[in-house]
This record gives sequence, structure tokens and C-alpha cells, in this order.
Amino acid sequence: MILQVQAAALAGAGAAAGLAFAGARARAWVANRRALAQSAAPAPRPYILYFTTAACSICKTHQEPAFRKLGAGVDVRRIDALAEPELARRFDVITVPTTVVVAADGSPAHVNYGFASAQRLEKQLLQLA
Amino acid sequence: MATIVDHSALRVNQVGIIATILVAFAASAVFWPVVLLLPVLAVVLLVGTFVPHLALFKQLYFKVLKPRGMVKPRPLEDSPAPHNFAQGLGGAFLVAASVLLLVLPAAGLALALAVAALAFVNFSFNYCLGCQIYYLLGRRGLLAQS
Repeated sequence: MILQVQAAALAGAGAAAGLAFAGARARAWVANRRALAQSAAPAPRPYILYFTTAACSICKTHQEPAFRKLGAGVDVRRIDALAEPELARRFDVITVPTTVVVAADGSPAHVNYGFASAQRLEKQLLQLA
Repeated sequence: MATIVDHSALRVNQVGIIATILVAFAASAVFWPVVLLLPVLAVVLLVGTFVPHLALFKQLYFKVLKPRGMVKPRPLEDSPAPHNFAQGLGGAFLVAASVLLLVLPAAGLALALAVAALAFVNFSFNYCLGCQIYYLLGRRGLLAQS
């Protein structure tokens, strides 16, 4: 009897995790479409819009060191998603960090939800060069 | 304002949560009352959220593991608020799991396993769902944040 309860619990937890994962992927897909449909300010060269908050842990421990690896030549524009809710809403920032790689003409080319490695960002910027 | 958070304390906390839930789950096959570990863990997490110096696993780290060099400290500039919020959320889910154990044991265990799974994801991949919920509540103006 107890083993049946445990099996049902494992199945339930697995199903819930699967549904949650699928739901999160779907939400990120929708947010990505919305963000890519927006426009940002044009600039002489491609740049990164970096959405963060003061309380974002992974921003400090992972994302900002990744920016430092990119070097000083890359223009990273830091935006506090809570201090600028309009901008965060416009780019549908569903999580922090979110990085938006913007082409020189101001059109967003890539949106990364969660930590984006230096390698990934470098590749995305190179595609716009 | 920059504050320092020792991430090793957070990781010890996550390991404590995962281990307790897995022990409760596995041992309940032979001795059902072991599931009482789940409400105990819920209390430990909730008390630790509101009174940080009573956070059992973190105190285990600060008083035993760190002084004896068993776990290396990892102090980082960070805010403790989202981590505390995530811990409280875990505690709240375990309260719900404990109540469910009385009426629908499989659902109670499933919810507890989900808490362990989220702690594991945080430990292994640095993805903190509670911290994301904390951000989204702030973005919607439902939770004041500095």
C-alpha cells in the first residue's frame, strides 16, 4: 500500500515537473516573440540591454563576470527592471537576468532569459557585426 | 546597499532540504511515521526565514562545517532577501504537503518531492525559482523591494 502511494507520488511529481517545464518554455517563447517585435534606440554598433535588479543573485555571481569576459569594447546598458517597469514590460522581462542583444539599427536580434554565457553573447554579437 | 551573502550557507541549506525530504520519502516505505520529518522541515524553514539565526542548516554551516574547514566559505556581494523568500516559499509548500499527507498521502509526498527537486535545481544549476517569483511579485508591485 505504501509503495503504491510512493509510486503515485513519484508519478505525480514527475508529471507536475513536466507540465511546469513545458509551461515555462511556452511562456519564454511568447516573451521572446514579444521582445523581438519591439525596438530599442539605434547606436553606432550592436549593444546589449541588460535587465537586472538589486536583489538578483545570479546577475552578480554569473552574468556580470560574463560581461567582463566580453571586454570593455562591448556596450552593455544596465537597466534596473524594477526601477524601469515600463521598459521591462515592453521587452517582457519575465526573469532576471535578461539580456537583449540589439543591432545597430535598434532592432532586438536575440533575447536570453536567465544567465547567458560570454561565449553565447559573443556569438550573438558576431552575427550582427 | 551592498551586502555579503555566504553562498556556501545557501548550498548547505539546499542539501539539508533535499536530504531530509529524500530520507522521509525513502524511509516511509518501511516506517510511515518518518513522514513527520516533512512538517518538522517546514517549521525549520519557516522559522529560519523569519529568524535567520535560527535557520538550522545555515547554523550547522556557520557553527560546525565552516569552523572545521569542512565546507569552504563563498562570500559574494548579494542580497539575502530573495533567498529568504525562496526558503519561506519552500516552507509554505511543505506545510501544504504536510496537510495533504493527512488526506491524500500521494499528493503530499509528490509536493514534498517537488520542493526537493527545486532545491536540487537551485543547488546544481543555480536556478532559483523562488527568487524569480520574488522578482515577478516585485515587478507587479505586490512585494516591496529595495
